[in-house]
Amino acid sequence: MTVAATFLAGAKSRLLPATIPFRFFAAAAGFQVLMWLALTLNSGEVTGFRGGVGPVLAAIHLLTLGVLAMTAIGASAQLLPVATRRPLAAFWPIKLVSWLVIPGTAALALAMYTLQTTIMIPAAIATTAGLLVFTALLGDNLRRAGSLPVVAAYGWAALAALVLLVGLGVALALDYEIALLPDHANVALAHLILGGFGFMGLLALGFSHVLIPMFALAAAPARRSSLIGFFLAVSAVMVGALGALAGSAAMLTLGALVGLGACGLHLWLMHAVLKSGMRKRLGLSFVLIRVAWLILPTTLIVGIAVLYGLAGPNGSTLFGFLLVGGWLLTFLLGVLQRILPFLASMHATRPAGSGPPLTSELAASELLKLHSICHLAALGLITVSIALDLTWLAAIGGAIGLVGSGAFAWFTATITRRAVATHR
Amino acid sequence: MLKRRIVTRAGTVQGARIWRTADAVHVDLRGLDPPAPMVQILHIIDEGEIGAVLVAHLDREPVFLYPELDDRGWHHEIVALSYGEAGRVDEVKLRMTRAET
Repeated sequence: MTVAATFLAGAKSRLLPATIPFRFFAAAAGFQVLMWLALTLNSGEVTGFRGGVGPVLAAIHLLTLGVLAMTAIGASAQLLPVATRRPLAAFWPIKLVSWLVIPGTAALALAMYTLQTTIMIPAAIATTAGLLVFTALLGDNLRRAGSLPVVAAYGWAALAALVLLVGLGVALALDYEIALLPDHANVALAHLILGGFGFMGLLALGFSHVLIPMFALAAAPARRSSLIGFFLAVSAVMVGALGALAGSAAMLTLGALVGLGACGLHLWLMHAVLKSGMRKRLGLSFVLIRVAWLILPTTLIVGIAVLYGLAGPNGSTLFGFLLVGGWLLTFLLGVLQRILPFLASMHATRPAGSGPPLTSELAASELLKLHSICHLAALGLITVSIALDLTWLAAIGGAIGLVGSGAFAWFTATITRRAVATHR
Repeated sequence: MLKRRIVTRAGTVQGARIWRTADAVHVDLRGLDPPAPMVQILHIIDEGEIGAVLVAHLDREPVFLYPELDDRGWHHEIVALSYGEAGRVDEVKLRMTRAET
């Protein structure tokens, strides 16, 4: 083998086989379709949802576990070994995560949809086991991320939130069978805060410190300001989760106010990144990201309004929808629309006599445009339907979201096939 | 000249050392956190004053740079790679060449 060939082999080994990250991205795209389908078919229950097992809870978990967590796992598995400069020691642990979490999530959502609590518990345990393996893998990688202190700090805090989140999740699932919790609603709210603002929210904020500068071609935000934002964000999640468990409106309010401070600082840092970036035309994916940034503080304000009875009869439903369907899903879809063409371009085969498919060509797909437009329309319609308690509008919003998610799934399937074909 | 322009440009990170050899412009981006190395390389390329060959000295492989290079019509090749403790990559030397039109 020549010296050059040795180098190329080494370079290839640092990229995970495409089947690993893309199985999570493909699953996320599929679960998004199922989520919108569940919401559309059960739109009558969406606007006034107050918790409890059923189709809406199934849709929520298709979104949180199926789309959000699945994307986070795929992106972390792909990005962190590159950032830490050391490939995964073995591929089987991350494959094990997929074998547990993907069918586990599907079974959990099916059990919730069909009210089969006996299936729900083993499905929750399988999903939890997968998430714990992922926690160990991510922790091992973060331990070596010495040159990325801000991302690592957010990552560790997200992992701590994940451990608490899955613990409460299993307790909630068991509570349907053996009634072990003193106040199911308080624990469910803590579960939502730890999942939405804790695990997924902190990961989103942390990865933003690398991804947004990378997309905009700008320097990362100043480390000191970023770390102040990190401490504010973590404090907000801790105070909010404790407030939920204690049923304390004062602590929840304090958590939301500190969260608004963290959010304001984060958005200011991201604004500075975009302003100084070399790339000014950021495309439709950044429309989604900017909308998500607007929804994040709105969610916290709605949360405070709910605490003081100022958000109307469906205020708590609106809060939950804005958190997971508004801020998190919209942000993540914006990032995915940007990063999937990148990854596909890196993995795809080179046709004879030409280069790989260009990122800009893949990102300009009409399917992605359709997805963005449908997602934003569905988001707006469902928000209004919850605020005004209009179930027919929720049905229209759900159907539009379903069309958009179908377009995204088609796009994901197409580039997954191209990327995976290289490794066969 | 190149160094001064890069260092003073708003939004870029200081610390890039640049020099010329007979066949290429070299830039040393070791010690910079991601995504600064990628941003610096693209900034240098987009300035359009470095000729056809740029060699970057990095402490990790900039995998997300490659699609950006492809989009700009530049080829890339890892010409040297050294490993440190426990198989961790310590230095990457990346040679980038402008595609002939």
